[in-house]
Amino acid sequence: MIRRRLAIVVAGFGSFLLLVCALAPLAGSTHVSLTRAFDRSIPFADNVDAQIFFIARLPRVIGAALVGAGLATAGVVFQALLRNPLAAPETLGVSYGASVGAMIAITLLPGTSIAGISTVPLAAFAGSLGALAIVYALSRARSRGMSSTVLLLGGVVLTTFLGAIVNFIQYLADFTQTFRTVRWLMGSLDVGSYGPIVAALVPLALAGVGYATLPRTLDLVTLGPDAASARGVDVARAERLALVSASLSTGAAVSLGGPIGFVGIVVPHLVRMMVGTDHRLVLPGAALFGAAFLIACDLGARTAFAPVELPVGIVTAIIGGPVFLWLLLRRVR
Amino acid sequence: MLQAANVWFSYVASGFSRTRAGPPDGGRHVLSDVSLSVSRGAIVGLLGPNGSGKTTLLRLMSGTLTPDTGTVTLEGRSVGSFSRLDIARRIAVVAQETHSTFDFTALEIVMMGRYPHLGAFELEGPDDLRIARDSLAATGTAAFEPRPFATLSGGEKQRVVIASALAQASEILLLDEPTASLDLGYQFDIIDLLARLNRDRGTTMVVSTHDLNLAASLCSELVLLRRGQVLASGPTADVLTHANMRALYGVDADVSINPRTHRLTVVPVGRAR
Amino acid sequence: MKRLAILIVALVVPAFRPAPADAPKRIVSLIPAVTEMIFAMHEDSRLVGVSNYDRFPPGVEKIDRVGGLLDPNVEKILSLKPDLVIVYATQQELQTRLERAKIPFYSYEHRGLPDITQTVRAVGARIGSTAAANRLADQMDANLDAIRRSTAALPKPKTMVVFGREPGSLRHVNASGGYGFLHDMLVIAGGVDVFDAVKKQSVDASNEMILVRAPEVIIELRYGEPMKAADIEREIRVWDALPSVPAVRAHRVYILTGDEFVVPGPRIVEATRRFAETLHPKTR
Repeated sequence: MIRRRLAIVVAGFGSFLLLVCALAPLAGSTHVSLTRAFDRSIPFADNVDAQIFFIARLPRVIGAALVGAGLATAGVVFQALLRNPLAAPETLGVSYGASVGAMIAITLLPGTSIAGISTVPLAAFAGSLGALAIVYALSRARSRGMSSTVLLLGGVVLTTFLGAIVNFIQYLADFTQTFRTVRWLMGSLDVGSYGPIVAALVPLALAGVGYATLPRTLDLVTLGPDAASARGVDVARAERLALVSASLSTGAAVSLGGPIGFVGIVVPHLVRMMVGTDHRLVLPGAALFGAAFLIACDLGARTAFAPVELPVGIVTAIIGGPVFLWLLLRRVR
Repeated sequence: MLQAANVWFSYVASGFSRTRAGPPDGGRHVLSDVSLSVSRGAIVGLLGPNGSGKTTLLRLMSGTLTPDTGTVTLEGRSVGSFSRLDIARRIAVVAQETHSTFDFTALEIVMMGRYPHLGAFELEGPDDLRIARDSLAATGTAAFEPRPFATLSGGEKQRVVIASALAQASEILLLDEPTASLDLGYQFDIIDLLARLNRDRGTTMVVSTHDLNLAASLCSELVLLRRGQVLASGPTADVLTHANMRALYGVDADVSINPRTHRLTVVPVGRAR
Repeated sequence: MKRLAILIVALVVPAFRPAPADAPKRIVSLIPAVTEMIFAMHEDSRLVGVSNYDRFPPGVEKIDRVGGLLDPNVEKILSLKPDLVIVYATQQELQTRLERAKIPFYSYEHRGLPDITQTVRAVGARIGSTAAANRLADQMDANLDAIRRSTAALPKPKTMVVFGREPGSLRHVNASGGYGFLHDMLVIAGGVDVFDAVKKQSVDASNEMILVRAPEVIIELRYGEPMKAADIEREIRVWDALPSVPAVRAHRVYILTGDEFVVPGPRIVEATRRFAETLHPKTR
């Protein structure tokens, strides 16, 4: 039964993702001729269609898939970890930590890069790890497993503290740096090259490894630490694994595309509506659907008001906001 | 088989490291020097007013909590030395309350009881499904299979949780007030179920309860807890006395053998002066 | 030569003419562009406070600093006892405080190029220096006109003016849109704006948009610290990531440094001239 359902979920969402992946690079504000793009006889430097396809669109689609999958899966795991359906990757301050890291890089280290990768995404990732470390330390204060209340409060405090740092940095920054920071905070999937994508794959892969053993355990964790422990879950260990994996996933996603909201909170709920609450179905479903969802949102962002492109965070908010409200109202009823 | 020896426990973490030599200072002890021995196949009842430490004692015995001093052993080995999975295969716990954050169905809740028997990537098979369904049937909740757990009444939830513990197929069952939110009819059903389990499968049980008559009819031994200390322990008939009821609850109770059931019954008559 | 002499006399003489009696004598200017205008009108002796971001002309160094757009130091401003404060239209709170302190203020908003000379005249009138202001504005108009005429007959390359991006990559490219003084400067300098149709001051130019619009010239503006030649070269090379763009293929990606490009004051003429020289290298 579960085996069959899992196969259906993966096949269903997987084919949807493949479809979206195949169509998205073809769509855009300009028409691109595929035959020209793949025509090897034209030197790449002259082939505008090829450049649009391979430089502008394809990395964007791949980036959107990774960011969408990363944020959606992190959302699922955080919601289980905190036993709160309103939790999101932003809740514990991990994505805020990434924003602070990026801001510090933009303001204090402009124009620098390490191994060909701009310091901004690297600092963003470091920032997310920093926030993770603080939350992790909080969680260890209680060896019997994290109290979700302590974690949530800790996340609120961390977010407030990081907010103060953000204001301080903005105060020190000059106009251009502030402008760049604001742009970064709106999120952008216009990656333009494959380097940042490959760099993001590393922590995402690690997160994936962490996720592999989690799904059934997460089901039990949502019943509460005692109920989970009574059924054989090493709750403290499971919670730590969940926290680290979801934070790695969030950090990678935010460093690649900036803080894009609503994906991490709305996609898990939409997937649960379609497949039920078993995390063995929800987690892979969220990865696949989250990827497709963000690719679609980015497509909307770059075509809706052509030739102007909207920041993708606005599109996810426009779609995600009302959906989230609707989900809330359903729950309350 | 399952034994607690000289256990002290306090929820308030002391400021300094606890020594093993003696009871720690500071903080109110929820349990003070509690000892309890459960032999294979016995049904031991924990009786006591609210706050006497019954739930804490059960959590210590399942290994969820570690005592400040003293030991909890399963067949001679400290409970803390087993892995969580090992414990779960041998001890199942029915908590007083179970909350489900997400919309799991009753069947899914019961299937979670199969967790300790599955490998890391193993999915439930037809045997697991059969065991889960049998457990639901045993607690009279087969009809709730597809219903979201959160939509069930308190009593219905409790029976599903008992089914989930049954699905764990463990030799020891710890139950925290299993009949607390149940209708009278279902109370009898659960008592019958537990008695049957004990008789047919030899399941060892520790049941904490407020229900004096459940204690009287089901349990072969009783442990009376008052303010974290053992007031009395031993065979039911020896422990369930008028004097003990007075000391434990402050009530004047009639303890007698019921002519129909031939079992001890306790009828509280009034406040003890 | 005669015209130069007249120009010199016309500029120098008013410096000795006293301002009208009711003209403000203690001026605080929060806007670098307006500060430069006041200096150019030779009325800088009346400036008692300038913004933190003022860097030009050198005489501005010795004037007290009072904060900037986001963080004006109201206490400092009041302590200087000004009788005119020049503020941004968006600094609502500051305006309220000044009203309460009964200190007059002049509200400034920056838009297109024509507004710059209009502002010169308006500020001049406000501070009681109409003649000098008009002369300055006329001169600016004349110079801009001269640039326009000199490029009128030349071929106009499709140009993208970039005023911000992630250093080291082409992410978050901010280009000038079909509105605003950068656009106007480009048009006067004899260029066609690739984003002419987008009526916004700034456009987030994605890789796709740049590839599709295929600018023939890319002008990147940098301000703040001066850049080393090696850094400039390295940043120009970043554009090689889009090899089909005509500007990249023809090696017509330029980085212009200097804050005259972003201070819409008297130096905008010089900035426009630099645009013209960049767009039409043979013109001198």
